[in-house]
Amino acid sequence: MADNEKRDKDESHLSRRGFMSLAGTSGAAIGASMLLSRSPTALAAEPRATTFDPGTTTPDYPPRQLPKPGEKIHEFDIDLAISVHEIVPGVEMHAFTYNGTYPGPEFRVPEGDWVQVNFTNRTSELHTIHWHGVQVPCEMDGVPLGTQWPVGLGQTFKYLFRAQPAGTHFYHCHNMTTLHVQAGMFGAFIIEPKVDPVKKLFPYEREYTLLLSEVDTHLVQTQMNDMLKMMGQMTAMNQSAKLMKEMNGRMMGWFQDKNAFLNAVKSGYIPPYVSSRVGAAKPPSFNFFMINGKSFPMTDALSIRSGENIRVRLVGAGAMPHYMHLHGHDFWHVCQDGSPLANPVKMNTIPIFPGTTSDIIIQGTNPGMWHFHDHSDLSTTNNGQFPGGMMTMLMYEDADKYGVKVPNVIQVSS
Amino acid sequence: MKHFTKNFAKTLLVLTGVFTRPLVAFAMQAQPVPIPESMGTMPQVEIDGTGIASVNYGNPIENGKVRYAPGIDFSDSSLLIGGAQRLYNNGIGSLGFGVLSPDEGNAGTTNPLFVHQAFVDYQAESAEFLIGRSDNRASHLVDFPTLREEDLITFTNPLDPFSNGSVLEEHRYANVASFTLNQDLTYFEDFHAQHLIDSQGIGSTSTSLNSFGAHFEYLCAPGMEPLSRVVSYGIGYEYETISQPSTRGLNQVSAGGLINLNQSLVDRVDFRAQDLVNFGSSLKSFQNLNDTYQASYNAIAGSVRYLHNPFGQPGYQISLTGGYRSFFGIDQAGSWGLAVTAAKRLGEGFDLVAQYATQWRAANLAAQYQGQTSENVGQIGLVFNFSGTFNPHISPRRTPLNTQHQYIPD
Ligand SMILES: [Cu+2]
Repeated sequence: MADNEKRDKDESHLSRRGFMSLAGTSGAAIGASMLLSRSPTALAAEPRATTFDPGTTTPDYPPRQLPKPGEKIHEFDIDLAISVHEIVPGVEMHAFTYNGTYPGPEFRVPEGDWVQVNFTNRTSELHTIHWHGVQVPCEMDGVPLGTQWPVGLGQTFKYLFRAQPAGTHFYHCHNMTTLHVQAGMFGAFIIEPKVDPVKKLFPYEREYTLLLSEVDTHLVQTQMNDMLKMMGQMTAMNQSAKLMKEMNGRMMGWFQDKNAFLNAVKSGYIPPYVSSRVGAAKPPSFNFFMINGKSFPMTDALSIRSGENIRVRLVGAGAMPHYMHLHGHDFWHVCQDGSPLANPVKMNTIPIFPGTTSDIIIQGTNPGMWHFHDHSDLSTTNNGQFPGGMMTMLMYEDADKYGVKVPNVIQVSS
Repeated sequence: MKHFTKNFAKTLLVLTGVFTRPLVAFAMQAQPVPIPESMGTMPQVEIDGTGIASVNYGNPIENGKVRYAPGIDFSDSSLLIGGAQRLYNNGIGSLGFGVLSPDEGNAGTTNPLFVHQAFVDYQAESAEFLIGRSDNRASHLVDFPTLREEDLITFTNPLDPFSNGSVLEEHRYANVASFTLNQDLTYFEDFHAQHLIDSQGIGSTSTSLNSFGAHFEYLCAPGMEPLSRVVSYGIGYEYETISQPSTRGLNQVSAGGLINLNQSLVDRVDFRAQDLVNFGSSLKSFQNLNDTYQASYNAIAGSVRYLHNPFGQPGYQISLTGGYRSFFGIDQAGSWGLAVTAAKRLGEGFDLVAQYATQWRAANLAAQYQGQTSENVGQIGLVFNFSGTFNPHISPRRTPLNTQHQYIPD
């Protein structure tokens, strides 16, 4: 992300760090008592969307437009490589990583601005980037063999689209998604609204993005190796006209249309899903459950102060639902899939389904240290051992002021 | 159990009482591991089975006898069970235990099963240490595509100079202690001491070390076997401490490899060849089969194989394997063999197979094979090979990720 970070510094309002420091100049003046004197309950009770408007799914900007001269384009370079990722100490896995990190870097762009992502694949496996929840033109949607050819070894694909609609979104590879997402190909894509109704209602300075996902480490290693073997052969094929000719249409299960597929089956192609090829299904057996690629106790804590609001963006980036529960607090569910809710909902456990995002506001109302975790407790384990997995802590920085003694201890086994 | 009287001990109740206890814990009381510890880790368990069954017609001769003609042959069928576990510091520990049915087993009178694997193995990133019964480290430099391992074995495999010839598996398997270094899981140097099975009873003791050697082997990048020009090659040296009037120490040098003549995923043609030189014996005549394994010889074998692989899955394969063997100090003892083998894939790991093999021996060698100078066998049969992995958490070590990126055992 070195290149991106450089760009981000130039445009400080884009970067997360810059964003927060800007917010800080105005937000620092807001005292705790002032925040709490405005009752969110009262505000939320005022109906804000009284009529149902069926036109609101129409993109604000026609997706098929192209940038006009002089319009700002935020340019990012994303390289895909194989690296080693550590989930918790002692557990390493080979991963497909966007710019070397698992998950990939977080994008932050203002609503309506143009985004250009130069995506270069430095592995022999095929990849794309799908912009989940973003209203891109069809050709930029990143579905291999659907809307684009997958990006091969050494190739660069330039994604160009306008950042809309505002809100919390994410991106991921759409080639062999079950494998590639587990292998690390996902990240947050945050489109900052021109006017943020959430911030109006719940003034906040600090915010956190939590990407929730899970992995079957053995499946990832096995399938990555299988794919790399096949792609090593494909790479050799690409360099040989003779091999290309004889393999044409006979590998990878790529067909021009349904008829070509049917004809291939008639002439001897055996699809990989029939029982004579696969036996019984071998579903993934997830053994690590992660927040931003890390499992407890290596997850990053959420910091808060008494009287402070923090915004937490929860992203269901994996294949399983997760039920995030905060101890000792209610919180406000304020956005779903990027869109602000007409009426924030008060809750203490929020389901995050695969492919969805939910933004919540936690208010600093109960000093201490509090667990925040998936209440499907199968996910609070590391390789079956409790505690671990999808769990982090809400830490009050001023807890001692209220007489709370926070023990200096990390539990890694029971 | 001690609470019950002798009479009770015969009842089913007592038996179920025994079996309701965890068997592992029960076994541990009888035979503790070196450092007592809880066996809380469920290992990866692997089962590998091969069934080879054929109907044969011909006059096959081994050990001086016409063995069956025509006959039903299920030799080389095998079952292997293994356990593997991640160890501290990225090590992998495993054991293998397997039996196969030797040629003799077809008759059902003697040696119905042969233990071909019984080893414990330790693997780290660049070293491996194995002790137990396993592949003879001088074998398997090149594996030939005949139907069974023993077909044409006198041409394709270093021969055990301690064997009496009744169980041909003795040439393939031995009691092994080997230490193998590797670079990038591509180049392998193996140093070993072995006990070659002494069915002739001519060694110092029945399990003493009688063979020492070193091997070097190269394997191409995993997955690139159909498309690499050079798939594998190796050379080896073995010294056998035999002490007989005419044979005081034997040297064995072997070299071989496998190349693709047509690099292809659909129409692969490969060629493998191996030369074995056995020297150090001054035997001038044969008294028994064992002498034919001791006497100084040169054996050369080669094979051309065509593999048709129409949709990334094997379709059929045809191979022609030939060998020639001659003795340095004995006239009229040359021999040659030829096998045409075909296999048609009917499903994953399941093949319809056919083979025709012919061998010819000159008079002095034929005298040890009931005087038969020629031997012809036609076979048609089915082969089923399967493997299952339970509780998987260890990947094979030689993978693209481990060879091209950081080594991670899983
Ligand atoms: Cu991908």
